[in-house]
Amino acid sequence: MASRTPLSALALVSPVQLMVGGIIFLPAIYVFWLSLNQSSFGQAASFVGLANYAKVLGDPYFWRALINTVIVVAVVVHVELLLGLLMALFFASGVPFRALLLAIVLAPYAVSEVSAVVMWRYLFEPDVGMMSQALAWFGLPPIEWAVKPSHGLFMVSLLSIWLHLPFSFIIIYAARLSVPDELYEAGAIDGATRWIAFRRITLPLLMPALLIAALFRYIFAFRLFSEVWLMTGGGPARTTEVMAVYLYLEAFRYNSFGAAAATGWLLVLASLLLALFYLRSLYREMFRKHA
Amino acid sequence: MRKRSLPLTILKLFGVLAIAAWSILPIALIVMSSFKSDRDIFSLTSRFSFTPTLANYELLWSRWGDFFHGLWNSFLVTSGATVLAVAVSLLAGFAYSRHASRGLQASAFFLIFIRLIPPIVITLPLFPVVNWLGLNDTHLILIVLYATFFVSLGTIVMRTFIDQIPRELDEAAMIDGASQFQIIRRVIFPLAAQGMLAVAVFVIVYAWNEFLFAFIFTTTKAKTAPLVVAEMIGAVEGVEWGVLFAASAVQLLPVLAFVILMQKHLVAGLTAGAVKG
Repeated sequence: MASRTPLSALALVSPVQLMVGGIIFLPAIYVFWLSLNQSSFGQAASFVGLANYAKVLGDPYFWRALINTVIVVAVVVHVELLLGLLMALFFASGVPFRALLLAIVLAPYAVSEVSAVVMWRYLFEPDVGMMSQALAWFGLPPIEWAVKPSHGLFMVSLLSIWLHLPFSFIIIYAARLSVPDELYEAGAIDGATRWIAFRRITLPLLMPALLIAALFRYIFAFRLFSEVWLMTGGGPARTTEVMAVYLYLEAFRYNSFGAAAATGWLLVLASLLLALFYLRSLYREMFRKHA
Repeated sequence: MRKRSLPLTILKLFGVLAIAAWSILPIALIVMSSFKSDRDIFSLTSRFSFTPTLANYELLWSRWGDFFHGLWNSFLVTSGATVLAVAVSLLAGFAYSRHASRGLQASAFFLIFIRLIPPIVITLPLFPVVNWLGLNDTHLILIVLYATFFVSLGTIVMRTFIDQIPRELDEAAMIDGASQFQIIRRVIFPLAAQGMLAVAVFVIVYAWNEFLFAFIFTTTKAKTAPLVVAEMIGAVEGVEWGVLFAASAVQLLPVLAFVILMQKHLVAGLTAGAVKG
């Protein structure tokens, strides 16, 4: 097929392409160049090859940040998907006040990370917070996020799940609503129990939505910054840093632009790697349809 | 029809309550506590029954004038980013919906690909450039950044919505001699309102709440509300919870009301953007 694009169509897409190309793509390429140079603010860059990468990969704080990121992403995304799936199935089974409940479930989507940090810090304030008192009632110690790294990461994960559950839930719920009822009726005639219907009908049909939700959440959770920054600031003693916080500190506090750029490029590579499968199938689909 | 047993109904009610409590209790608690006196904020007995007071809001007004300045900045930046993002997404969404070629397909692929790059990465090269251009601490830089990070999703959502507008309508207009731009203005614009609203909801929620870019690119003049709240959290002499609650409530309630009003468009946009994109 002859592919011709009218000039007007190109004109229509050019603002979007210019914005995205000029403000995201070119700078991202430039970060790669930065990562191969030694530089700081107001300083001429000098080429150092892969030294910045070597420096970053030899930095124990980087590894700490990477491990923290992987842990938080794994916990947050999987718990979110599980809760989202359970909630979607619960909604689909018919709930009272469905419209109202849906609005309530969506509410955290409107909340800023800053306000969310205020809320959860208030709830878990040692000794006096509502959740700390509840924990004490069960004979459990309070969450000391400012002192214990694992508690800090727990708070960050909880916060993240709370903020992003509406996203995962909606994607899965929309997919569940598009499963035709006839399939369940046919299944019931064949004598399928609820569990079998879930395994054989619901789960396979929800799989694409689950994968999409997982992918988006992996990528977005991987760039996690504000929740950690506002909850723990990366402390105590740099133990709760995640990749983006490490990058920020290297660049804007320690003036180590080269190391920050190397971290940045590693972040880009990791994001692309996570999305490789999605990009491949997307690429195939797009060019099969229109080529 | 299967008959519901009593235990199942109770279980279901419990589920509804648990979901509602998880989603809304933290928000309700903040808003409620913003009307409490310092004495009542951490008191067990006055958790749900207390004498409401506006003291925290008065304190916020008298001592954190910065916050209201921040709110105004947030409003300006959010409006600007929304108008910009919706406008350019509409144009591009139309082009992608009505034309298909290898080049255009490649550029659409590029748009989705670009969404994968973490925002913090591009702050490194942008920071010196923005300084050099004198755009640091201006509304403009935030408007452009916020819009740019949403035009990919915006374009996909707009294309999905414009795909549902029959092509015959714009073909008829074309026969009548309308230009592309006139078709968009006269035919597509009125019919794509749903899609534009969906895009607007995303940009508004994002721009109103964004922290990272505002943190890096603003200092005083263009500082947005979330930044001021963050400063209040980090205040040295212990956290003043009451004032903090008042500020959070003010920052949170308009966009919460907006999301609840627009939830249909939010859901439509999410499913159009994420699942089909």
